[in-house]
Amino acid sequence: MHDLLDDYAHSNALRETSARLKLLLGLGAILLCVSSSSPIAPLFIALTMSLATVRLAKIPARFYCTLLLIPSSFSILSAVVVAFMHGGGEQLFALNLLGIDLGIREEGGNLALLLIARTFGGMCSLFFIALTTPMLELFSIGKSLGLPDFLVELSMLMYRYIFVFLDQAARIHSAQVMRLGDAGFKSTLSSFSMLSSVLFLRSWEQGERLIVAMDCRCYDGKLDLMDQGERAKPAAIIAVAVYLIATAAIAVLTRNILIL
Amino acid sequence: MHIMEGFLPLNWCVFWYALSLPVVVYGACKMSGLMKNSRDVLPLLAVSGAFIFVLSSLKMPSVTGSCSHPTGTGIGAILFGPWITSLLSVIVLIYQAIFLAHGGLTTLGANTFSMGIVGPLAGFLVYKACMKRDVNMYVAVFLAATLADWLTYIVTSIQLALAFPAAVGGALASFEAFLAVFAITQVPLAIVEGVVSALLFKYIVQLRSDVLLKLNVASPSVLKKLKEACA
Repeated sequence: MHDLLDDYAHSNALRETSARLKLLLGLGAILLCVSSSSPIAPLFIALTMSLATVRLAKIPARFYCTLLLIPSSFSILSAVVVAFMHGGGEQLFALNLLGIDLGIREEGGNLALLLIARTFGGMCSLFFIALTTPMLELFSIGKSLGLPDFLVELSMLMYRYIFVFLDQAARIHSAQVMRLGDAGFKSTLSSFSMLSSVLFLRSWEQGERLIVAMDCRCYDGKLDLMDQGERAKPAAIIAVAVYLIATAAIAVLTRNILIL
Repeated sequence: MHIMEGFLPLNWCVFWYALSLPVVVYGACKMSGLMKNSRDVLPLLAVSGAFIFVLSSLKMPSVTGSCSHPTGTGIGAILFGPWITSLLSVIVLIYQAIFLAHGGLTTLGANTFSMGIVGPLAGFLVYKACMKRDVNMYVAVFLAATLADWLTYIVTSIQLALAFPAAVGGALASFEAFLAVFAITQVPLAIVEGVVSALLFKYIVQLRSDVLLKLNVASPSVLKKLKEACA
């Protein structure tokens, strides 16, 4: 029912690389994207991060392309608004709609392109983290960074139950569809509400059972995590450092270059 | 639709993080206080958080044919109160960013503010005000969930407008444009979420009204009246 990125995080070719290093690379790239003032550095990041994900981590390219469609709807819609609302510079495109003059000027067009480039750069870096690093390793990083124990536990238990409930939701949904629960808007609406209320009640009961199960195993408010974190290899650290510095240099050198 | 990764400039990312952080920390403190009193809070909140995640990743039926996702935070706020919902929403938003590529890490602060703080808080206040005036509980749930969903998008429009003010007319003009794109298209979806939430509560009242009692969502007399109405 759902393509969870997490499935790939457990089986990609970069699975054995240090999680901290992967996180550092992804976050560093995201921050460079967001602070860059020209679309060139974000586009460079989008390209290199995609290559790293598809080539190094061996994520199927077809699947990766469908992922890239997710950010496009939001970013294009918002970028269009920005493009029309910003004046300044030469008129690039004009449209008269029902008496309202709509036009894209140079400044607005450039800003919109920058936004699209930044979104894609950021999303590609986020995909890199999501597709190469399993959640459990992120938990142990969080724990070692001093996140309170109960927050880590809360997130871990949630993580576990997300899969249980997704599975249940998928089953209830197919049962409803088989009984024509999706015929017409009204019955779809009532099916959906029934599905979500049953899901809530089941999750509540599951929670009650979880308390009993954890009590039986002498739960004392602490779940221990085994940190099997791989140590980063020196060569990998150097590669990441070189990449981030080079990207930062590109961002600084191209800061005044505009496309339009 | 959350604000995507990379869309907001760095200074606005930091600003929204700074605004959301105190609320989330307050929620965390509140929760750790609850946990000291009773140990079964943690598992129950964990499954509820997972429920909010799954609910917000389901496709909701919509009139226009485009698919949309409920925010689920209105229900969360009614059941658990706004502060704990804000904490749960942060975790849900991180999972949405990492599992489903909705939203992002740098925009997490802004998304938390719209979906995790303003929406639930408004929904909660509306629900409490309605219950005080003896409004029918389903109507109260409908209003709270609709408002929580819709306000989320209004705040998103404000956030985008502040980050990208128009050349002519400033942030206000740009707010109107973003509002037209995000908030007006969202009205029917917010109403659908309201209807779904009200029906959800109807089923819960019929099947397990003790859960609502335990969470202090409604008084015993209200529940009794509603159950009699069903029978």
